[in-house]
Amino acid sequence: MGKLVLYRLGFAIPQLLVVSVVVFSLTYLVPGSPAAAILGVSATPESIALVEEQLGLNRPAGERLLEWFGGLVQGDLGTAYRSGLPVTEMLAQRIPATLSMILGGMVVAIVIGVGVGVYTGTRPGTKADRLLTGGTVLGIAIPEFWLGILLTTVFAAQLGWLPIIGWVPFTVDPWGWFVGLILPSLTLGITGGAIIARQTRASMVRALAAPYTDTLTAAGVPRWKILYQYGVKNAMVPVLASIGVVFAILIGVSFVIEKVFSFPGLGSLMLTSTIGQDFPVVQGVVLFTATLVIAVNLLIDILYGLINPQARPA
Amino acid sequence: MMKTTRFARLAVPVAAAALLLGACSSDDPAEDSSDEPTSTTTEDAAPSAGGQVAGSVLRANWGGFPENWAPGAEMEAGYMRVPYENLTKLGDDRKPAPWLATSWEQTDEALTLELQPGVTFHDGTPFDAEAVKVNLELIKNTPGPYAGPFQVIDSIDAVNDLTVQINLSAPAPSLLTTLATRAAPMASPAAIADGSIAQTPVGTGPWAYDEAASIAGTRMTFGPFAEYWGDAPGFETVQLFAIEEDNAASTAMINGEIDVTDTELDQLSVFEEAGTFETIAYPGIRNNPMFFDRGPGGMFEELEVRQAACYAINTQVVADLDPDVTPVSQHFAEGEQGYNPAITGYEHDLEMAETLYSQAGSPAVEGDWLSTSFNNRQISVYAEQLGELGFNLTVQEAPPPQYFSEWNAGAYPIGLGSNDELTPYDWYQSWFAAEAPGNPAGVESDQLKAAADAAIAAGTSEEADDLWAEVTLIISEEALTCAHIQSQELIAVNTDTVSGAAAPSEPWETVLINFRDLRPAGS
Repeated sequence: MGKLVLYRLGFAIPQLLVVSVVVFSLTYLVPGSPAAAILGVSATPESIALVEEQLGLNRPAGERLLEWFGGLVQGDLGTAYRSGLPVTEMLAQRIPATLSMILGGMVVAIVIGVGVGVYTGTRPGTKADRLLTGGTVLGIAIPEFWLGILLTTVFAAQLGWLPIIGWVPFTVDPWGWFVGLILPSLTLGITGGAIIARQTRASMVRALAAPYTDTLTAAGVPRWKILYQYGVKNAMVPVLASIGVVFAILIGVSFVIEKVFSFPGLGSLMLTSTIGQDFPVVQGVVLFTATLVIAVNLLIDILYGLINPQARPA
Repeated sequence: MMKTTRFARLAVPVAAAALLLGACSSDDPAEDSSDEPTSTTTEDAAPSAGGQVAGSVLRANWGGFPENWAPGAEMEAGYMRVPYENLTKLGDDRKPAPWLATSWEQTDEALTLELQPGVTFHDGTPFDAEAVKVNLELIKNTPGPYAGPFQVIDSIDAVNDLTVQINLSAPAPSLLTTLATRAAPMASPAAIADGSIAQTPVGTGPWAYDEAASIAGTRMTFGPFAEYWGDAPGFETVQLFAIEEDNAASTAMINGEIDVTDTELDQLSVFEEAGTFETIAYPGIRNNPMFFDRGPGGMFEELEVRQAACYAINTQVVADLDPDVTPVSQHFAEGEQGYNPAITGYEHDLEMAETLYSQAGSPAVEGDWLSTSFNNRQISVYAEQLGELGFNLTVQEAPPPQYFSEWNAGAYPIGLGSNDELTPYDWYQSWFAAEAPGNPAGVESDQLKAAADAAIAAGTSEEADDLWAEVTLIISEEALTCAHIQSQELIAVNTDTVSGAAAPSEPWETVLINFRDLRPAGS
């Protein structure tokens, strides 16, 4: 097992390194000067030069990259151009809301996805299967932003069951945190759940069509045991991979729908920082999300190896 | 509510309070007539009395929070006016009136302010001349859109605890106005010194930031400030929210989660259906095309070409596309310094445009016009209208960061921007003076310069109004800009919970309400 973890880590670390360099380099491709963006209409060539010097933007790219890496290994992502705050502090303020939303969405997605996938996968061709599988197409097709507005209109505006101003930190009010997460989690989870459901259904159908199920049936193993002990376990191997993909998708979607639910997450920080050319913040957000995706995929790879010995390194 | 758009609109905007006074030179100092000091004083600088309602909470949503609460950082008045106060404010006549400064005396060389006694910041730090010095120096030295007008400050002397003298390197007739704007809130020097001001506003206003009752990124709570020097406002507590999306904000209003919100026209039907809501509309940001390439050999060098362009543009088409927008004849509104009733603008007249263009010899007008997401449609309309005249302007859409960096930097012959300078002096210094940052061609007519010099020399005297009106008339006649439009700001108020709501007295602000006049409904 340790070998598997080391093996996967061996892939993850270079990935992070490449992402870091790409993230830093991308900011050079953005046209315009951060100094001009900060100065606004009063910018003159002289004042732009002065601010660029103050921000260190006039130094060679290699020197800045090395400095950035130096800070990075010490957990220092630099200072925001506009607020003057450490980027790590700004991220720390926003990460709880984003992570809460993504985790809530993942829970909903897995419950819906695995539940519907197993149900339909054990009943291929039935009316229920056709209905639910059709529903998953709808789930994938619905724009999350619109779904979020629809859910708030119904459950917050019309029924008044849930609040619009949803975000409360868990440490402040655990119940408020939970209630505030319901609508964002549903919005995120429905699409993710539809993706997982389709993968689960296909895997279940394949697993139950395998020769071993006939052997088990002939050996007198009860149907429920064949389905849930053997079928589901085998079907979960490819489903795990789809969960990793869905996680990455949900990160991106959460950046968009946090606006609908007024969640103070990384999405709005990313947007305002991009527009304001606050590159240290942009780099921090992108690096964090990339690290998160890599970490989750690392975890899934490890789980994958755990339940599927064939996937372990020789 | 498209905070993106709002942000984008604002990045160029306001700035102005602004611009560089470096250029503020009256060429001939001997002509400066403002050697005669002008002064103002008042007995009652405090806000009007109201009687505070215990336990009352006003919940307002402006769609976000400032990234930085320090003076000099970009901060819209809707946020700033809760914890902060300024040295001056704009009176009903749009002229500077006393606030934390009770009186002043201004010459070309210095502005001396007498300060309100007995004022303390929320952290207990006394408000005094030294605090004013710290704040103004911070604003002057903070890179950003507000620093420009403060560059004229040579030094600041704390004469005594309640007297501060701002020494000027050049006449600064609009400095008192600038001191009333979002450019110059007064913050605790202690909070400035330890850097906490960026995240924790500490001002002198009637509401003090209560971090314990706030939720980072969602809600900022400002509780009553027991040591407040003036009359207590109607609401004991103000909470600011950051609901960015219009539909969500409307739903929060209907749900009773907030009392006041910035909104858009497309939400009006939602409030009308729901009943107990009032919407307040007031003029907001204005914009207009600028002819940058008007230097020697430039495609807009000839007056007739510029005038032809002005006649060819039909702002009503933009207004028809966006009901939020109203065409106006000039940059300044009636009642503001710089307004001139003689300016009638260039009413769309393609025939006249063609005649003028022909008189100029129909020179080739070809080039790119930079746009971005929030003004692409408007610029495209204008470019198409100018195309009917024979101009060949290609609209290039750039991401906002690129747009803000480049639209007025001289690389494009024409641009469209929000000139939200509050005074004609700042407007002139920003866009039309030969040294103005917004005049990359660096050209200025003798007539305009003479008129502006005379207006600057008039300082803050009564005659300055007429002289600045003359300057704006010349700007219009020379067609240095035209096709002014004015957008409308909308604020929705729940009349079940709030009374006394009215449009803010501060012009050009996108999100604001008269906080101090508001009272819980029925109280």
